[in-house]
Amino acid sequence: MPEKPIKGEKRYFMTGNEVVAYAAVMANAEIMYGYPITPQNEIMHYWTRMAPKYGKEFLQTEDELSAGFTTVGGVLAGRRAFTATAGPGNTLMQEPISMAEAMRLPIVVVVQQRGGPSTATVIYSQQEVTLTTLGGNGEGFRVVYSTANHQELFDYTIKAFNTAWKYRFPTFVLGDGYQAKMRESLTMYDPEERGLKMVPTEAYVGKPGVPGIDRPPGQYRNTYNVEEEIHEVVQQYTKEFNAIAPEVAEYESFGTEDADLVIVSHGVVYRAVKEAVSELREAGMKVGYFRPITLRPLAEKELKEMAGRAKALLMAESSVGQMTRLVKEVIYGATADIHTLYKPGMGISAEDVAARVRSIL
Amino acid sequence: MALEVKLGISSRKVEAYVGEYASGKSEVAVNRALMLSREGRTVTLVDLDIVEPCYTLRPIKMELIAAGIEVLAWETRETVGLGEAGNVLRAENRWALKRPGDIILDIGYGVGGSRTLNLLEGARDDPDLKMVAVVNASRPMTGSVPDIVDYIRELGPVDLIINNTHLGDETTEEIVQEGAVCVTGAARELGLPVLATTVVEVLAAQIGPKDCEGNPVWPIKRYMPRTFW
Repeated sequence: MPEKPIKGEKRYFMTGNEVVAYAAVMANAEIMYGYPITPQNEIMHYWTRMAPKYGKEFLQTEDELSAGFTTVGGVLAGRRAFTATAGPGNTLMQEPISMAEAMRLPIVVVVQQRGGPSTATVIYSQQEVTLTTLGGNGEGFRVVYSTANHQELFDYTIKAFNTAWKYRFPTFVLGDGYQAKMRESLTMYDPEERGLKMVPTEAYVGKPGVPGIDRPPGQYRNTYNVEEEIHEVVQQYTKEFNAIAPEVAEYESFGTEDADLVIVSHGVVYRAVKEAVSELREAGMKVGYFRPITLRPLAEKELKEMAGRAKALLMAESSVGQMTRLVKEVIYGATADIHTLYKPGMGISAEDVAARVRSIL
Repeated sequence: MALEVKLGISSRKVEAYVGEYASGKSEVAVNRALMLSREGRTVTLVDLDIVEPCYTLRPIKMELIAAGIEVLAWETRETVGLGEAGNVLRAENRWALKRPGDIILDIGYGVGGSRTLNLLEGARDDPDLKMVAVVNASRPMTGSVPDIVDYIRELGPVDLIINNTHLGDETTEEIVQEGAVCVTGAARELGLPVLATTVVEVLAAQIGPKDCEGNPVWPIKRYMPRTFW
């Protein structure tokens, strides 16, 4: 086994993209497939810089369709494989991701959101929530972790590989251009030294023995002849996805029990919300927050309970309500007033949040 | 004009800041430009990052100009396809070395970035040009003596090294001094002098004028946390 870049635990000062590359190496990922797009490029840069030293592989493809399909191929061959993309690249990648959903292939995709629609900006947004959670011509059988800082980028990139290989649903780490380029410190570690075992991988194809005689045949299909066949498969996947949802779903909340207003946000915007809530609490205002970590599946039970109690909700995000649509579906029936702070393609500061709260309460 | 310049003796400082991605090149370059400007010198600060131009300088450009520094950098709105569609070198930046006074060049993005210097008129034979490598030993790619030595060798010609070891808001004197030991060790192996250890003002006051390796301490302010594309 080649050595690993991190031994023991230590604080480092890094950019988010570098963190993802290191996390993938530390998670024993074997191969990255990718096509360059800002703001995720340094994930590829750092992965390829480390690849020769740590026995990793990299394939640059001709576009994101191909990057997605080769990731699918890597997983079929039993490799812990991943890719990273953003914006229009994420759009192109939806077809291979749908195939992974259809065939239950544990691909890992890191998305660093940029402005949209189309090429837009290379900088930042939270406008890839709909695409990442529910993109493709399917039902969104995916797990999406929305990170807020470098420590989470490291922790959840490692976790994404385990979630993918444990449940066999495509798994995403949803970051953004700010997190990708921002510099802050974090603790890097070897998950195995922390007792975190990486879920073993296995090949889907090319197994030894004669199918049907020595072992059950592998049937990994994304094509069916009649309606009843696909109906049955989707029903089964729905059942399985719903069954794992409660154990996969993650969230953080604070002060929601007595709050007059609960702010719902995810990803990097949550940092601003957390700071604003702490300031507003100090000023004596009854404000709380709810932050979904998994955008798919959502922590449904907890969201419903929170929305049932709250007098008012404030949805804060750097898009025109992409997270809000997901949340509204879950909390349907709650009577809390819904207020919004939408800044598509722009960052949201603690001052923005506090000012909006003061305009409501 | 300074007396030395009138007499034809060059006291001109021309420093090109290079180094690993996110090592603190821009932070050090901005602080260096301010430091020289405070000494009453004429200073031009040039953004030569061709991958992420004006990523670092945009929000503080006006502040630097107000401090008397000439800043040569794109306005973000003037650029197209930041980071991925290629960039046009500003004509003024290309001729920056022909300007009077001190020139501080903020050069982007690691090894590829240091080759940007080829685009500058007069870079090849400017007698005062010094390549300054900025190293933060809290970064995983430059976290040990052998890693730093390997990295600086990859960068091409380097004249001076700066120890810019820090952990953002978590920086302590110990982290800076450990970095000083590490960077000075690498510099010794490379046969290069350490120009300075750069430290935020509060910690610089604790450390004093020299770090534990005897390198001069330059107190700096952190401007970069306020910067954006």
